[in-house]
Amino acid sequence: MKSDFERRLDELIGEELTRRRLLRRGAAGAMSVSAIAYLAACGDETSKPKGGGQAPIKKGTIAKTLFFSNWPLYIDVDDKTKKRPTLDKFQRKYGTKVKYVEEINDNTEFFGKVRQEYAGGTSGGRDLHVVTDWMCARMERLGYVQRFDKAQMPNAVNNIEDAVARPDFDPKREFSMPWQSGQVGLIYRKDKTGGDLTSINDLFDKRFKGKVTMLTEMRDSVGSVLLGEGIQPEKATKDQVMQAIEKIEKFSKDGQIRRFTGNEYTKDILKGDSYAILGWSGDAIQLTSDNKNVRFRRPEDGFMVFTDSMQIPVGAPHAFTAQKMIDFVYDPEIQAAITAYVNYVPPVKGTKEVLRKSDPELAEDTLIFPDLAKAHNFKTFSATDEREIDEAFQRAIGA
Amino acid sequence: MTKARRSLVPYALLTPGLAWLVVFFAIPLFYMAQISLKEGTVDTGYEFTWHFQTYVDAISNYRVQLLRSFEYAGLSTLISLLVGYPLAYAIAFRGGRYRNALLLVVILPFFTTYLVRTLSWQTILDDDGIVVNVLQGVGLLGPDGRLLATTSAVVAGITYNFLPFMILPLYAALERIDPRMLEAAYDLYSKRRDVVMRVVVPMSAPGIVAGVLLTFIPAAGDFVNAELLGTPRQAMIGNVIQSRYLEITDYPTAAALSFILMLLILVLVLLYARFVGTETLTGAEEAPA
Repeated sequence: MKSDFERRLDELIGEELTRRRLLRRGAAGAMSVSAIAYLAACGDETSKPKGGGQAPIKKGTIAKTLFFSNWPLYIDVDDKTKKRPTLDKFQRKYGTKVKYVEEINDNTEFFGKVRQEYAGGTSGGRDLHVVTDWMCARMERLGYVQRFDKAQMPNAVNNIEDAVARPDFDPKREFSMPWQSGQVGLIYRKDKTGGDLTSINDLFDKRFKGKVTMLTEMRDSVGSVLLGEGIQPEKATKDQVMQAIEKIEKFSKDGQIRRFTGNEYTKDILKGDSYAILGWSGDAIQLTSDNKNVRFRRPEDGFMVFTDSMQIPVGAPHAFTAQKMIDFVYDPEIQAAITAYVNYVPPVKGTKEVLRKSDPELAEDTLIFPDLAKAHNFKTFSATDEREIDEAFQRAIGA
Repeated sequence: MTKARRSLVPYALLTPGLAWLVVFFAIPLFYMAQISLKEGTVDTGYEFTWHFQTYVDAISNYRVQLLRSFEYAGLSTLISLLVGYPLAYAIAFRGGRYRNALLLVVILPFFTTYLVRTLSWQTILDDDGIVVNVLQGVGLLGPDGRLLATTSAVVAGITYNFLPFMILPLYAALERIDPRMLEAAYDLYSKRRDVVMRVVVPMSAPGIVAGVLLTFIPAAGDFVNAELLGTPRQAMIGNVIQSRYLEITDYPTAAALSFILMLLILVLVLLYARFVGTETLTGAEEAPA
């Protein structure tokens, strides 16, 4: 027994053969369009960027414009004019107008956005981008970034801080130059914890159950947990890393760790939804001024340091000028203005001395000038191991 | 008009819609299918190899999150129906001249973006917020209890965000019911309960079907509520797809999971349509046996 609806459907189909024909033709059209697109896409994905990676950047002339991609709130801004003094100084010195775009919110997200362009050997117009260590390593591994001509960068060569001068993924700093560094430490509400936190392992104290958050940045969370175990993250084996991830997963499953966050932890800790967390030093200065009970402490087990670095993508239209820009911010006078505004750890020697004159209080702040004796970096694993570790961590944090 | 020209008119009218579907639906879908069958990593590049194993692995690795998505979506749909039906009924039959104003109130939340609404739920459900304090005061929640970062918060958030999608079709169906039908039922000595169960509910069935579909389908794919109101223990399949795509750059698995989600929803909808019947969906009346 056919229902009324089905009967009507039959009628429609029976009567209007043209409709079916139309559909078929329509479908064929769709196929041919996507076949072309498919071929185009194949070309995109298999092609590797042309050259670039190995020969250093050629000497050239200073360009009229420069495209600089960076993270939000990562350069000094004049609160009144809303202009960026550092970029204005660059323009006065070299006559280059900098197009400064705050388009990077997340390393992997930015990578996803530029991957096709970079793989095709064009930079999408970008001359400089700033990404975190491990992403710098990936960009270099894939041949997406250019080799610096260090002879053209006297400031950068002479003034780079020793602590960030020789990372394992770029020991001579030929493909990446630090922009700013930050510390990963314990941030807590002293009014809620009833005492100071001193070790990473304090985060696993049952009294704080459900009030602990960790970072979605794998290297910051896992590195810190490794330090709590007495293992140096730059020397850790893959097994040790996997064990640290298992530990995180266990405490996430039993509800000790409430959730994993990026910058949004600032909101949670001020409201009291969390009060014993892993966080970044740059946020801590703001948090302590918002709430007098908030404390930042570098755990005695040691602490993780991350560095965001500038790189020049392959195909950058103004690579030579970009190189000049890198060298420009390695002038301590220039760097001091950036540091005074963003409150992260400057990678440039002499910044502290400049700040002593202009802002003595800031120059003594250990959030900006920490004792780096207990600072640690995360080891750069092979692409396959990195992928396995990333996957395990993503599963541990629930996805 | 000549016969030839007349036969061209339907094509012309169909072109914009078809073009839209092809460009924004068919082509992306084709791409996604193609990506899901590729193998490789960002470093080595992706190669098309008909790699169906990705689907098998995706299901076995993320069964928990898939089931959870349907559980949460089902719960939210049920709550929406139970909450939305009386409201839609009241607006349709008792709203009088305030009908339009009441409907506006239902749609009002849509004037703010989805994300902002969910973020404000974070504030409402705070550990130190008013809701938790009141519930603790009356003893419904233990002193250490919380609402934020729990399953209840996620389900409540989904329900809230999709409730209007339930209410509007319900209202549209209820509003079409001729009040004389109800009068006729009463005239035939029907009890109030019977009028509702045997007249109002069956006649509003198209609204129920549409509302359930409109709520359930987006709810199953949602990831915002689990992300903002939940913890890793509430992660839904949408969260997994997002993390696979953006965090791990494992495009094949992300694409495969999207297809699996789509197919599962399709199967459920077909079963549902089979069970409830397509007639109720289109509003056509049952043909006499």
